[in-house]
Amino acid sequence: MPRLRPLYLTLMVTLTACGGGRDAKPSASPATGGTLVISAPGEPDNLMPPITTATAGQQVEELVFQRLATVGPGLNTVGDAGFTGDLARRWSWAADSLSIVFELDPLAHWHDGTPVRAADVVFSFALYKDPKTGAPAAAELSAVDSVTARDSLTAVAWFHRRTPGQFFDAAMLVMILPSHLLSTVDHSTLASAAFARSPVGSGPFRFVKWVSGQSLELAADTARRRAQLDRVVYTVAPDPVTAYTRVATGEADLYESVRPDKVAEVVSNKQLRLLIAPALEYNYVGFNLVDPVSGKPHAIFSDRTVRRALTMATDRRSIVANVYDTLAVPARGPFTSAQASADTTLAMLPYSVDSANALLDAAGWKRGPDSLRRKNGKLLTFGILVPTSSTPRVRAAVLLQEQFRRVGADAKIESSDIGGFIGRLKARRFDTVIGGWSQDGGPANARDAWSSAAAAKGGNNQGGYRSPAFDAQLDSALAALSPAASHAHFAAAWRIITADAPAIWLAEPRLVMGINARFVTTGMRPDAWWAGIPRWSVPPDKRIARDAAGAVR
Amino acid sequence: MRTLIQRVWQGIVVVAIVATAAFILVRLAPGDPFAMAFENPGITPALRAQWRTAYGLDGSLGEQYVRWLATLLRGDLGWSVSKSQPVAQAIGSALPNTLLLMSVALILGFAIGMLLGALQAARHNRAADHAIGTLTLIGSALPDFWLALVILLVGADWWRLFPVGGASDQLLPLSASAMTVMLDRAKHLVLPVMTLVILIAAAVARQQRAALLERLGADWVRTAAAKGVSPMTAFRRHAWRTALGPVISLGGLALPALVGGAVFVEHVFAWPGMGRLAASAISSRDYHLVVGCVMVGAVMVVLGSTLADVLAQRLDPRAEHPDGDMARNAA
Repeated sequence: MPRLRPLYLTLMVTLTACGGGRDAKPSASPATGGTLVISAPGEPDNLMPPITTATAGQQVEELVFQRLATVGPGLNTVGDAGFTGDLARRWSWAADSLSIVFELDPLAHWHDGTPVRAADVVFSFALYKDPKTGAPAAAELSAVDSVTARDSLTAVAWFHRRTPGQFFDAAMLVMILPSHLLSTVDHSTLASAAFARSPVGSGPFRFVKWVSGQSLELAADTARRRAQLDRVVYTVAPDPVTAYTRVATGEADLYESVRPDKVAEVVSNKQLRLLIAPALEYNYVGFNLVDPVSGKPHAIFSDRTVRRALTMATDRRSIVANVYDTLAVPARGPFTSAQASADTTLAMLPYSVDSANALLDAAGWKRGPDSLRRKNGKLLTFGILVPTSSTPRVRAAVLLQEQFRRVGADAKIESSDIGGFIGRLKARRFDTVIGGWSQDGGPANARDAWSSAAAAKGGNNQGGYRSPAFDAQLDSALAALSPAASHAHFAAAWRIITADAPAIWLAEPRLVMGINARFVTTGMRPDAWWAGIPRWSVPPDKRIARDAAGAVR
Repeated sequence: MRTLIQRVWQGIVVVAIVATAAFILVRLAPGDPFAMAFENPGITPALRAQWRTAYGLDGSLGEQYVRWLATLLRGDLGWSVSKSQPVAQAIGSALPNTLLLMSVALILGFAIGMLLGALQAARHNRAADHAIGTLTLIGSALPDFWLALVILLVGADWWRLFPVGGASDQLLPLSASAMTVMLDRAKHLVLPVMTLVILIAAAVARQQRAALLERLGADWVRTAAAKGVSPMTAFRRHAWRTALGPVISLGGLALPALVGGAVFVEHVFAWPGMGRLAASAISSRDYHLVVGCVMVGAVMVVLGSTLADVLAQRLDPRAEHPDGDMARNAA
């Protein structure tokens, strides 16, 4: 599912003077030790932070590398409220807010023993911003003019302009990389550098080994910021049954995507514990408002009345209950309830088959003898594109097909493997699609997915929904300097898009993980549960053989 | 010698045709190696275009083909986008695992299958024949992924006799002895091998039984028996040996699996082999890796069929003669 970039909300907290950072002190504890074995469905594409796109790689990098500061559990992206120091132990803003001075932790070092210096920060920003690198984050760093080193432990980020999210840009978007190891590598061939498969970072865990297709091992870096656990080992099992069975049998400790049919088993297994957390993901049935062949308005879905009718014909509660049981809630709009931009009071189009039928009648789609509807001799028939890789979406498609049939619409399920699915989505060759967005909490996630700008070729708004009123409300929400004003604009935007119904907002699945009961977990951010792993622990009396530290083969 | 050179040339042509077909077909499939990056809106169309250029995936199909051929002639199979390593390296790390898994499975599967088939033929229309026939029919009909899942659940989850998956215990300490390491590898082999052996043995047994029954009714076997050759000798020397032909052909056809792996079994048992590599390459549209895997498979098909032909000729000289039995009878 698409991962939307973080965007930077509303209120610009105090942009003047004064560092808001806290000292980044290691969390010392006498009870360090333990091995966390994660049963992972896939392995990283590479471990070169600027160009890594796979979630598996991003998980590992979060543990191996550091940023200047990290976002807080509230996921605030405006100003620096809630951020905690990571590589930077404190920071201060210039009076005009056009620069931020980051003071680096003098004890920070690379895992090869070399100290981390401001020159590394300067190098990392230059690397991310270099077009030859091809870093996806480069576009989001447009507000950052440059980064300079005031001295060996002080880096200064200079900005072209004030933006609500300028601190987030500088602190979170760039992972700091070792210039002494990468300065000679051609930026256009980073993926083929040896570093991409055996990285050297400065984070709480150091890279140990990566056995292709099998496992990846990290060990706690004991020199400075000691993680509670000794080791984190990712073992790869592409089949979900195998991946889960590894945890059920105790071969592994954590599986992050427990399926609804396995939840009861996890609960009844005394060795396991179920972790349910809010996720920043929603699924939807998107209508294509543009004919995939002619490029003209779609014969069925360019009509707002038809879209509203099909939305009202959809019993989302029953679909969510059937597909996810209690592990998801119906989505209210193009946001998740954990986001600051959410409006949980938003009135949704009600489920009403009678109203749906009336709307379709009014739109000229009349029932024929076969109970299917026709207009000017054309049958109300369309495809539902769905990726075979997502069992919930495939199941939802079957239920939707039946619900649409009740109002006289003939929906045909078009299953495709993930490559084909994305190919058709990119080419916009679909009538309707069961899509999903995995977000990172920023309010502009909706703009990336549903604005008129995103409807342009290559954009993420593949359905082609365009509403100047919606765009204006979103822009206002993103530029607003007060949370109340921002929220009001967001609420207005949600009302517009809900009324226009370019999609049926289907479900907000929760994150359901199975973890061995011996682990004490903490600090799970909704956007990155793995960020808290350095603070996870295993009480000494609950440790098992593999918790004893030691190099592995 | 001339025949051998002919076969080599034929083989080269076959591999070239197959590789070219794979090169074209995988590009005709929807999506591309950077389709997954589509999930990240930060990856703009311009950035994707930049990546395509960097990986030599820009330009027309013809241009890409010429570039790929030039790279191939330098002995380079290309770069795997999904694995971030050279294709040869990705194949090199998966191939030994598949060779181990498939060689053990093929040897055991063929040995057991041939024994079962021989036993059935020797006990034709008796209880043992019917019982084994029923079992091999079931074995042939079982879908491999279903059988693999059942064996995984029973052997690893319910009984917990064997590891759930993988080729080795990734947490084995460095201090582990060579014996411990070997035992660990053996334990990891048991369940996937068991799955494959059931599937292979079932097919081989049915083939062996049919071939043997045909040979047992042949003139030369009856003649041997009439001359006083013991039933066991007649069975072993005159029937079984000549009935090996179809099984050897089956073996030749199975040989590519030695490097091609077994996609579903490797997937279920998280076995890091060629089958899993190829499947993942296809789903991620990793063009160079797909073509690399196909080429390795094609080479093995050519080698396998050549080897099967040679073996069949060695075991049954009639295969050298186009008119086989008739030539011998006339003599």
